[in-house]
Amino acid sequence: MKRRQFLALGAVISSFISAWPAKLLGVWSEESFQQCSLKQSFINAFGTSDPVRSEALTIVAPPVAADSSAVPVEVHSSLRGDQLYLFVEKNLTPLVFKCTLHGGALPFFSLNIKMKESSALYAVVRDGGKYFMASVQVEVVAQAC
Amino acid sequence: MSSTLRIIAREENGTVLAKVIIPHPNESGTRKDEQGNIVSAYFIREGSVKVNGATLLDIELGPSVSKDPFLQFRFTGKKGDRLEVSFLDNRNGHFVADAVVL
Repeated sequence: MKRRQFLALGAVISSFISAWPAKLLGVWSEESFQQCSLKQSFINAFGTSDPVRSEALTIVAPPVAADSSAVPVEVHSSLRGDQLYLFVEKNLTPLVFKCTLHGGALPFFSLNIKMKESSALYAVVRDGGKYFMASVQVEVVAQAC
Repeated sequence: MSSTLRIIAREENGTVLAKVIIPHPNESGTRKDEQGNIVSAYFIREGSVKVNGATLLDIELGPSVSKDPFLQFRFTGKKGDRLEVSFLDNRNGHFVADAVVL
């Protein structure tokens, strides 16, 4: 193999290697995560602005958060569900996460979120093609010291 | 700050609780520094979780996730199951780790 061919081959291979993670996943939706109102965010994420309120869905979050840069939030559902969403009404980008469940995954997801100010949190679950939601209010107190 | 993705998964009564910490600045792109300059966006956008090679979760994350994202999820599984997680940020940084369910 000539040196020129070898270099060309190397360039082709390395471009594939650098591109593969993006191709493997590449599901991130620019539209769902744009800065907009909560209603618009609902529409962008799943196409309807008023999901049905349901008792089946629970959000566990502190009613008063001392540190707005890391508020622990837990979403779980007694419906089986195949998609979970979490929205913060007053954040610039309301959608926090979208989680698609496969196989043995249980409808439970927990993470720490940033909050711009006191706001309502909305969790949405998709079950049998229908969307159900629950909400909870979290007060953010100004950080002392 | 350690720079590796950490993952721990524990089985109890047929349910596995997995915890993942991704060391990452996770800048939303809207925060300003001391000089008033906007810090450019740098956050984890996508993740996927596989158990024994089969996809379990597809995760899409927005900029409102805290610094060093700490995620927890549950699934039906058993001890010895092999868990693989991979995450991708908006600058194409790739984070992978695997663990065995304890």
